[in-house]
Amino acid sequence: MAQVVLKNVTKSFGAVEVIKGINLHINDGEFCVFVGPSGCGKSTLLRMISGLEDTTSGTIDIDGRDVTGEEPSKRGIAMVFQSYALYPHLSVRDNIGFGLSLAKLPKAQIKAKVEEAAEKLQLTHLLDRKPKALSGGQRQRVAIGRSIVRDPKVFLFDEPLSNLDAALRSQMRMELTDLHAELGATMIYVTHDQVEAMTMADKIVVLNAGRIEQVGSPMELYDHPASPFVAGFIGSPKMNLYDGEIARRMGCSTYGIRPEHIALGTEGPWGGTVKHIERLGADTIVHMDSPEVGQLVARIAGDRPVRIGDMFRAAPMTGKEHRF
Amino acid sequence: MTRRQFWTGIVALAVSTVLFIIPFVFIAIIAVKDKREASRMGFDWPDSWHFWSNLVEVVEARNYMLLLAYFNSTVITVGAVTVLVVLGAMVGYVLQRRDSKWNSLIWAGVMSGLMIPPAVVPTIWVLQELHLFKTIHGMILIHVAYGLSFAILLFRSFISTIPRDLDEAAIIDGAKPLQIFFRVVLPLLRPVTVTVIVVQSIAIFNDFTNALYYLPGRENVTVQLTLFNFQSQFTSQMNLLFMNILLITIPPLIVYMFFNRQIVAGMTAGAVKG
Amino acid sequence: MTRKSPYPLWFVAPAAIIFSVLFLVPTLASFWFSLTRWDLFNAQFIGLENYEQFFKEPFLIKGLFNTVFFAAVTSALKTTLGLLLAVLLTSGIFAQGFLRVLVFFPVLVSTIGVGITFSKLMHPTKGAINVALAAIGIDGPGWLTDPALALFSVALVDVWKGIGLATLIYIAGLASISPEYYEAARIDGATRRQMFWRITVPLVRPATVTVITLSMIGGLRSFDIIWAMTKGGPGFSSDVLASVIYKQYQAGFYGLSTAGNVILFLLIAGIMLPLTARLNRKEVEQ
Repeated sequence: MAQVVLKNVTKSFGAVEVIKGINLHINDGEFCVFVGPSGCGKSTLLRMISGLEDTTSGTIDIDGRDVTGEEPSKRGIAMVFQSYALYPHLSVRDNIGFGLSLAKLPKAQIKAKVEEAAEKLQLTHLLDRKPKALSGGQRQRVAIGRSIVRDPKVFLFDEPLSNLDAALRSQMRMELTDLHAELGATMIYVTHDQVEAMTMADKIVVLNAGRIEQVGSPMELYDHPASPFVAGFIGSPKMNLYDGEIARRMGCSTYGIRPEHIALGTEGPWGGTVKHIERLGADTIVHMDSPEVGQLVARIAGDRPVRIGDMFRAAPMTGKEHRF
Repeated sequence: MTRRQFWTGIVALAVSTVLFIIPFVFIAIIAVKDKREASRMGFDWPDSWHFWSNLVEVVEARNYMLLLAYFNSTVITVGAVTVLVVLGAMVGYVLQRRDSKWNSLIWAGVMSGLMIPPAVVPTIWVLQELHLFKTIHGMILIHVAYGLSFAILLFRSFISTIPRDLDEAAIIDGAKPLQIFFRVVLPLLRPVTVTVIVVQSIAIFNDFTNALYYLPGRENVTVQLTLFNFQSQFTSQMNLLFMNILLITIPPLIVYMFFNRQIVAGMTAGAVKG
Repeated sequence: MTRKSPYPLWFVAPAAIIFSVLFLVPTLASFWFSLTRWDLFNAQFIGLENYEQFFKEPFLIKGLFNTVFFAAVTSALKTTLGLLLAVLLTSGIFAQGFLRVLVFFPVLVSTIGVGITFSKLMHPTKGAINVALAAIGIDGPGWLTDPALALFSVALVDVWKGIGLATLIYIAGLASISPEYYEAARIDGATRRQMFWRITVPLVRPATVTVITLSMIGGLRSFDIIWAMTKGGPGFSSDVLASVIYKQYQAGFYGLSTAGNVILFLLIAGIMLPLTARLNRKEVEQ
């Protein structure tokens, strides 16, 4: 188990700098999620930690050792790919044991380690199948099994759930969280999905255009976003954000209020006409046109009657407003 | 199937029987006739069958030249195709996976190999300097040089369908370049490898021109050359000439029956890129 | 900081060495040797004499003309007949699968075998073709004995042997045209003929480019079919560059033979580079 420390890490492809000086400390045993929109550099950063991508400048330490110029296989890491990257011509057993057989471990030892991992992931009955014959969730587990047998100090996950359907995805989220609790290993997880970040992370790193926007626990980011970017990225539906004249009236350059922090009723500073309604059952999302602020989204209880064309007054809850 | 499709099919079948089957029937008929009857080149049913005696006579001709030729052609084909597969796959792999400044140079080589006619006499000169002229292994290397472009094209386009994640997973598992190639990539190339093997085997087995130039001499005779040698010897024995044609036509026919799908895949894949 | 690439360039080295030594070096050397009188051991520089001789000898010029004629005729026939056959063999007719196999088989058969067989079938008096023509009252020509006809006859046999590949490429090209185009056209009231000219021909264009390119290169380089059927005869009437190269080589005129090689190279480059540029440009415009 190990800490991961990035110091002034940059990465350029030719003249284009995609990672612009990252400093980050990931603690031993932490579940750290890199999140951000596509193209923000989160996958590149993960691949730099893995060693699949060279680091242009700066240093990467894993477990107190500088591994910046080290081969991927010597870094003490394991990686689960978005596509799982299972070797199609090998059985589940050989997939999990591939790295061990490259390292020329004795056969008996490989067998024992593979079976132990398979046990942990409920794969024992599938060991002699080919990846083709497995479901998405099973393939996912094999990919994890392949990383477990390496006894890595750090697990790296590159959007591992994005190929699964919604139901399986939420199940796998919990399995991964359980696995993390069981192994107690340091895990770094890349996703573009803020729900995955919120539900799984000890620490979220929000990346934008090659820089860190904010680092913190899920609730820190939710309650105290450091920038309008983080405010807009974390939380669903998105926070209402206003700049320009409206924000200036509020005494800041960007003003934000979350949909769940708006009270709709007969009182409030803003008026609004309901334009669109999304009923989610427990909640209802109401989209309104407001003469004071323009577009306004509010989240209200699901059982409250509301119709298109209804007029409300909207009031931001005090203490829940964000001024940037 | 509509009436129209049915009758068009019948007509097409009749026409193509005349065009594409009769020449082969002709070969077979002449091959089983006796010398006198064969020289009339008629299409009539043989008066008497001489399949076995003609076969024996062709095989025994010129001190079992045909058997020697079969042996030589087999050695050349197997040797050249083996080298072609390994080297072609390696080049196709690096060409597809790596963005290198050499890539455009490699491409230029591949394209020139497809287009430029080999300069024969200078090639003989080079072979002679290297003591490879009139040798079987020289012939193998020539076929490798001439077949590489096609093999590289096929392998490269197939490798582009293998996700790079697999290489990277292997890298993280600690595989060295040769291990990635031989243990992860090469096993996945099976379909295209079969295609390259089948298509190139037929091409090399049927090669006449290169053997004519680079492999003269009795002891190095190849199957296609026997046909040419026998043509002058058997002017009055057409039955034997056609028995010979029959014998060298059979191997590709068998290969085609077994590997129809791979041949079609290879011919079109290679061609569409070309 | 940069670690070694997992895709080392030395993977290319063995292939590059074999290809360079046995293909590129001779090709480059041919430019020099074509300017010499050469017996494989001594090369004496004689300037452009070989080329002068080449363009002075009527039969050598004839060979140059024949090469272009042969390539043009075979390509034109393979392209048009190949497309028509492919359309026929994808239209769901009776015995379609068997017909495809049949049409393709000659591609795989020994060219020499095919050449010898057809030279017998085309025999002026005893050959099956003329015997059959005589049966319906036609006096068949001397396919391979008439100097005006010999090269054309060989071209027909080359088409017979190569049409399967053209058809196969066209079948693959036709398969990639979405049936929705034809359905839309039918709803718009297009006839079969209109669909062929307005949909099939333009959309199958990539296959056409491939067929033309392959058959032109193959046609310009043709040797074995001609050698097996006529050896360039009667006289020099069916000689092409490749057979001239071989004849000069046999006669020991290595410099002259190599000059022929260089001319063939320049001819192919001179025809194929503008042709492919033109074919590809049109493709972009679509």
